Amino acid sequence: MLYLQVLINGLVLGGLYACIAVGFSLVWGVLNVINILHGSFVILGSYVAYFAYVHLGIHPFYSIILAGAVLFALGYALQLGLINRVVGAPVLTTLVLTFGLDLLLNNAMLVAFSADYRSIQLANPLGRMDLGEVTLPLDRVASMLFALGLTGLLYLLLGRSRIGRAIVAVRMDREAAALMGVRVRRVYAITFGVGAMMAGAAGSLLALIFPISPLNSSEFLGIAFVVCVMGGLGSITGAMIGGLALGVIESFAALFIGPEHGLTIAFTLLILLLMFKPTGIMGRRGYE
Amino acid sequence: MLKNPVKNATAILGAMLMSTLLGVASSAFAEDVIRVGAPLPLTGPLSPEGEKQKRGYDLWAKTVNAEGGISVGGKSYQVEIEYVDYESNTPRAVQTAERLISENDVDFLFSPFGSGATKAASGVSERYGIPTIAATASSTAVYNQGYRYLFGTFTPNATLTDPLARLVKNSDEEIETVAIYARNDLFPLAIAEEMEKSAKKHGFEVVSFSEYAIGTMDHASALTVMRREEPDWVFATGYINDLILVRKQMSDLGLSPKVLTMIAGPAYQEFIDATGDLSNNVSSAAWWHPAVDYDGEGTFGTTDAYLEAFKEEYGARPDYAEASASAAGVILQLAIQQAGTLDPKAVRDALANMDTTTFYGPIRFGDTGQIVSLEPPVFQIQDREAKVIYPDSVKQTDLQFGGIE
Repeated sequence: MLYLQVLINGLVLGGLYACIAVGFSLVWGVLNVINILHGSFVILGSYVAYFAYVHLGIHPFYSIILAGAVLFALGYALQLGLINRVVGAPVLTTLVLTFGLDLLLNNAMLVAFSADYRSIQLANPLGRMDLGEVTLPLDRVASMLFALGLTGLLYLLLGRSRIGRAIVAVRMDREAAALMGVRVRRVYAITFGVGAMMAGAAGSLLALIFPISPLNSSEFLGIAFVVCVMGGLGSITGAMIGGLALGVIESFAALFIGPEHGLTIAFTLLILLLMFKPTGIMGRRGYE
Repeated sequence: MLKNPVKNATAILGAMLMSTLLGVASSAFAEDVIRVGAPLPLTGPLSPEGEKQKRGYDLWAKTVNAEGGISVGGKSYQVEIEYVDYESNTPRAVQTAERLISENDVDFLFSPFGSGATKAASGVSERYGIPTIAATASSTAVYNQGYRYLFGTFTPNATLTDPLARLVKNSDEEIETVAIYARNDLFPLAIAEEMEKSAKKHGFEVVSFSEYAIGTMDHASALTVMRREEPDWVFATGYINDLILVRKQMSDLGLSPKVLTMIAGPAYQEFIDATGDLSNNVSSAAWWHPAVDYDGEGTFGTTDAYLEAFKEEYGARPDYAEASASAAGVILQLAIQQAGTLDPKAVRDALANMDTTTFYGPIRFGDTGQIVSLEPPVFQIQDREAKVIYPDSVKQTDLQFGGIE
């Protein structure tokens, strides 16, 4: 029963990890931009959910839409106005640009919201469900299901919709996509917007679980990084599997070796994976 | 128009030089000033702590100056604090302390933040013989270096855990087992190790002592294991973000011990705001708490007056770090007044022999320079408000058991 509980803990955590990482993975895969802003985008999404709940009484599950919309607009504008100017440049250039933008956004949030940790106190929490010796924290489970649902929606969007096909086409071959009439710069802006939207939505769900402060952004960025590399760059299913794998590995490592080594073990496995399968679990050669 | 530009320029320069010299001379003679150096981490990861200390010092300096300054041998001196940012970098803290003393000629020094940087910088002030007050250093290793010029306002870590263990032991409740869960970081780990000693000393069985890494975002596995151990008492250490998450996940997993103690987060209002009803019945200890009530000497005088001054200045309640910084100022002020001179040796002796009470509590330093007169308050959050349960002199309510859902 202990193992079942730890497995559930790991899956719940992993679902959230996947949702944090999926937008980051999309942007990296399509634009070849390592978006250092991603952690701050997640935090901004959490603040949207926090203020929507405190001032308007909107449940964080509903403010996914609000946070997603706000972040999409911000991401779209940033890509169109700034990042598109250097998107063809070597990866270090775009890295430095997003790093600088992150300093700006993160410090702006520190000034606007302060470093104080806040947290949403639901008036009617779902509580927990006991199934024998196994306990399900229902708000967490619901957040995880929403997170996986959103990731699934994004998967469908990329596979089925016109814009999704355009994004995939640009990822595969920018020149060929341009020759086929795809407006590449616009697709870039939409992709970055969608990446930010997913970060905002994830932030909204995480607002229920983690304390909210601009100081947390580097932790979220770190998780996005690891999940992407583990799952495979630019692949939605990769981010999902990478996230779930990281959550489960971390939970069992904490159980067997001790909580202080949970992340160490996860990172060691990541290094081993990079040595033997550098494309990640689901990644395909050529997209990395 | 200007017939001889060189001559004119010389004249202008001369006039500027004269006025500067006169200006310097007049400001030096216009009022007498006591200058206190304060190296603080005003940027970098420790900046929130640095800012807290600065708020405490600033409030003291502002208040004492408004009262007419510090009276020394019938003459009034204004207080001026010279802040230097050491960017959360301990070696730089030592350099800035040295520069403040040797180049800026400060009369006294307030230590940098925390035990580590205080210990490192204390050698400098000792060498120059500058009385130094440490507002945020609790480790005994800072004070047992044999230094004569260092004085600290935090009691050793054991004074936080020992009263709590005694209190629980002497209750009618059957509390036998303790699970300790600590952030693997300097202070949180040190306080957890003290708790282990205190628990064993009072006959509790420590069923587990586990550590979690800095930056841990999930405590579910550790808490799941802990739930199987069914400890009567859970003692968790870390900083506020860790402890908010631990508290929430305890509730998620249905871990409900009879006693839950967390250090150091519940001392901040932020913790109560972030955890809501889950904060109820969480016990903690800190070197000071706004619920204490002292009537003493020096600026502010009573705890109430201090709380009011703080609220007026910053619109909030002070926590232990802010109050300790203000107290460092008051202690220095009382020592200077007692000595009747700014002579470092005389002020040092006044500090060593000090036996008084301030808004912060009774002030008496031991042979090592660490304060020995304070009994750090143990408190428990009840109805979303921190209430003191120890020591008896300032006690507001009794320790409640259970109710950790």
